Amino acid sequence: MNEWVFLLLFLAPVVSSIPIVLAYKNKEWTEKLPYLSVFGIFVSVLMSLLIFFVLEGQYRYDWIPDLGINFVFMCDYLSRYMGVITAVIAFFIAVYGLDYMKGDYRPSWYWFFFNLFTASMLLVVYSDNLFLLFVGWEGLGAASWGLIGHWFRDDDDIAYVGEAGRKVGPLGMSWPPSFGGWRAISTIRFGDVPMFLAIAAIWALSPTLNISEIEWGTLFATIGAAGTIILMLCILMGLFTKSAQVPFSEWLMTAMTGPTTVSALLHSATMVAAGAFVFIKLTWYIEPWHLHGVPGLESVYVLALFIGLISGLYGALAGSGMLERKVLLAASTMSSIGLMFAAAAASFWIHEEIAGMNLALLVAFWYMAVHAFAKASLFLVSGHLIHATHSRFLCGGLEFGKRMTPAFIVTIIATTFLVGMPPFTAYWVKSGMDEVMEHLIHDLGIIPLILLILTSVVYAGIMAKFLSLNFIKGDKPQHEHLEGGGLMKVGYILMVSVLFLLTILIFKNEETEGFRQAGYASVSIMVGLAILLAYVVGLVKPRISALSKLGTFFNDRMYLPFVNDYILPKTGFFVSHLVNEYGNRGIDGLFNTKVIPGLFGWISRRIRAIQTGYLSRYITIVLGIVMFILVIVAVGGVWL
Amino acid sequence: MIMLYVLLLPLLVVCLAPLLTPKKATYLSSLSFMLPFFAILYCILFKGCDPIPIMTFSPPIGEIYLNLDFISHAFGLTICIVSAMVALFALPYMKHRFEEMELNVEGEFKKYIFLYQFYAASMLWLVYSGNLILLYVFLEIALITAFLLIYFYGYGNRRWVGQLYLIWSLIAGVLTLAGFLIIGIDNNTLALSTGTIKGITTVGTIAWMFIFVGMVIELPVLGPHVWLPWAHAEAPTPLSALLSPLTVGLAGYVLLRIALIDYSFIEVYRMPILAYAIISSIYAGFSVFKQTDFKRLLAYSTVSQMGYMLAALCLGPFGLIGLVIQYMSHAFGKSILFSSAGGIIAVHHGMRDVNKMGGLHDSIPAISNAAVVGFLNLGGILTIGMLGEFFILRGVVETFGLNTKSLPILLAMIFMFILSVWYGFYTIQKIFYGKPKDTKRLEISRYLYVPLFIIGIISVLLLFPPLSTALIPGIKSVIWQLIEGQIAAGIMGGVMP
Repeated sequence: MNEWVFLLLFLAPVVSSIPIVLAYKNKEWTEKLPYLSVFGIFVSVLMSLLIFFVLEGQYRYDWIPDLGINFVFMCDYLSRYMGVITAVIAFFIAVYGLDYMKGDYRPSWYWFFFNLFTASMLLVVYSDNLFLLFVGWEGLGAASWGLIGHWFRDDDDIAYVGEAGRKVGPLGMSWPPSFGGWRAISTIRFGDVPMFLAIAAIWALSPTLNISEIEWGTLFATIGAAGTIILMLCILMGLFTKSAQVPFSEWLMTAMTGPTTVSALLHSATMVAAGAFVFIKLTWYIEPWHLHGVPGLESVYVLALFIGLISGLYGALAGSGMLERKVLLAASTMSSIGLMFAAAAASFWIHEEIAGMNLALLVAFWYMAVHAFAKASLFLVSGHLIHATHSRFLCGGLEFGKRMTPAFIVTIIATTFLVGMPPFTAYWVKSGMDEVMEHLIHDLGIIPLILLILTSVVYAGIMAKFLSLNFIKGDKPQHEHLEGGGLMKVGYILMVSVLFLLTILIFKNEETEGFRQAGYASVSIMVGLAILLAYVVGLVKPRISALSKLGTFFNDRMYLPFVNDYILPKTGFFVSHLVNEYGNRGIDGLFNTKVIPGLFGWISRRIRAIQTGYLSRYITIVLGIVMFILVIVAVGGVWL
Repeated sequence: MIMLYVLLLPLLVVCLAPLLTPKKATYLSSLSFMLPFFAILYCILFKGCDPIPIMTFSPPIGEIYLNLDFISHAFGLTICIVSAMVALFALPYMKHRFEEMELNVEGEFKKYIFLYQFYAASMLWLVYSGNLILLYVFLEIALITAFLLIYFYGYGNRRWVGQLYLIWSLIAGVLTLAGFLIIGIDNNTLALSTGTIKGITTVGTIAWMFIFVGMVIELPVLGPHVWLPWAHAEAPTPLSALLSPLTVGLAGYVLLRIALIDYSFIEVYRMPILAYAIISSIYAGFSVFKQTDFKRLLAYSTVSQMGYMLAALCLGPFGLIGLVIQYMSHAFGKSILFSSAGGIIAVHHGMRDVNKMGGLHDSIPAISNAAVVGFLNLGGILTIGMLGEFFILRGVVETFGLNTKSLPILLAMIFMFILSVWYGFYTIQKIFYGKPKDTKRLEISRYLYVPLFIIGIISVLLLFPPLSTALIPGIKSVIWQLIEGQIAAGIMGGVMP
């Protein structure tokens, strides 16, 4: 019985998108079959709800039992919540996509990869076996590549990132979709292989591959400090690249070349969230707060903490200078994900448990949940705005805002609920985060708390800027196209309404009691007020012309693209050039075309040249040989 | 016993196919590989295959038999499906080629199908040969038939390329034969050990040296690799689609068989061989980026992938499992890729220059998507190749551990794996995506893409139950059984896991 639940959960989205793939040539069918694909995701929603309410614990089915590779699913606190979040968000976005992707030039490609994306993330969420998890992980990578580069023709400026034709030094600051896809998969692969190595190492060194059954303490003890650091760094490489943390963040910015639905899914419940989610999940079972005696582990967690915090600040600052709707949101996502990493990493020093769960991990996880719905709503709104204004840059005044009332209201709700202003949803979670960072003062000083507060304040500013420049103080759009979009509105209204549900859960659940307490602490209230202030400032003054130079610097992501687009490729192509022009041509010349064939030719010509046919020549040769032998014999005789 | 007849089928068709019309001959040829494919699947799933003795010669040749263990099955399965599918693909392609060369289609097809069938069948028999002499004979048949195909139907300066291929392969073959003969004289038999049959027990260092050098030329790795881009790029595409995926990898098969008899050579020279393999793979990976001819590009990628196989050979029992799976995944991926290159040639009138392509997805979406599946195979993403990489990586950890001393090796291996996805998706982006030069969707023959998707689907299915559930433990048990004695004798390091 239960195996059917899992089978339907993972296979329904994939199988339901196969008909549209087979019918790719038939326009009539490709207009109808998306409904079937969406239905497949709906089945996943039902299954995830069933799991949420009914199943508990571990479920195991054979794959290669001999070698410890099995279908093992874990229905624990994290996965039960996250599964529902993933499936529901994917479903809402899919409904929205029915409208958004109408008339697209390759619907089969889109729906197949969209559904594969969802299924892969669900696999990552539920699987307990590391190999199985990695299958989902690779599915995410492949599907994101397909979706980011969906508009492969590069023929519409609306799908680009950056200003067309703008250059900074030798670097063009405009990226087409096909390039965005390649950049995503190349960055992700850079982290995936180390992570795969880490999984293989766990496979070799531990009797099981199931996250919940691995004895992490024993494992770390057998490999020692160096081994622990190598292992954890390899895993973190995978997580950081997937979650676009500094310095691997560039792919996420150019990933905005994909359709907006893809951005929404990529940023809320899959892909970037996958990195942070797996980090939370692993930490949940590693229980590092019990492993303070393991050498090397602390440095790993310090690293994760600071990479997270720095990414948080970097993302927020970069967002402050951005004028492209989706790229601004992308930068803010990177920032949020950074905070999730930081909060989860802080669990190393946090011993406080609520209902048997570590406070820091709960904070990280709930922040992920709130962020997912809020950010997905914002992305869906910007997708609608892009359709309505036919511009990917922030624009739209109050007059425009009034005509887009649902989008306007949804944006207000999503931003206020997300930034952490009292008393809305994220405030309680953020308060928990403040408390966690306050705890760290004892071990790591005050820097983490300061970074967190700075990030939160700037973050509030950029969210307010997004609201203001789209609906209140932005320029008048050049095109306005307000008809239709019914399903789109349904999509984001449904999405944002879940935020209310989450607020109720935070006040009702037992394990979130810590958030509520933290919400009343003086530090949290002060931070909350600072956020409120920043939000108001951002709303009133979304553009500060005096700072435009700084804004350009931030908008160019502090020139990080130079690493990705200039230094690395130049180096790589230089090596390729050396290898091909000198190495291959040299060896080819030696064996195949010049030296050895030439030598053979020369020798055979010489031998041929000797043979003139005159008797005297042969007599000369024979006499010469005889003389030579005589000399040898004579010399040998004397010498002996 | 039934397996013997099933395997004889492709050899029988060698004589029959030339008598038929091109279409019928193609179907017959394809069918003659599909039947063994299903028979092998049956053997894998139901574990019922004993070696089939054929005859016994006097020493030093010894028993000649068909070796039906899981390693041979894994290779055989791959060869059957790839040969069957490429045979179908070749029908429109070779017609196009003959017309291009202004030859008589019907008449030339008879010659071609004879050579093709003989070539593919001999590879199939090679992996099932239970005796090194038999193995050698089929190795040489494969070589000569492939040479003739290049010589008759290749591109560019095909006669020169054909000779080049022949000379390099002959050097490889002769060295290997010398190694085999030394083994035969040392052991008084050339039969491989399996179950009840007692065969070769020791391989001396000199014999190992000969076979190793020979097979490294055949494989090939950095240095001798220069013949491969010529041969694989200028060969007619259906031949490229077998040469590159199947034939060169068989050198890895021979090395694997020898290593399973006596691993000492690898134990002694592990570091130099591994370093050579990794450097060769990375070197070839970098070469890919600069190629302008699509087929040549794929040929360099083959060199890079063969580096994986040689590296896997050095990584203990888990590495050896990885080698088998790596062969399969590379074969699937590369046959798809060469066929898609052939598809572009057939549809776009001989277009091979990567710089002239771009945005091709618009005119030939099916071929473009097939190529994606091909590169996913090479990169080990969501296909059987994932397991291959997983075993190889485990082999690294088992052999060298996880510490600061092993870190350079770990990093080099990681980089090696990263590189193939980088060049893969870079190539895809360059060839198929971007601004299309021509947005008209072309109607193309189904033969040019359906077979590729079948290979692709099989490569995905092999990752999941029931196929992987049966296959992987099977390969493992064979390898474990064969190395048991070596570990007991202290030849092979490490503890039996």
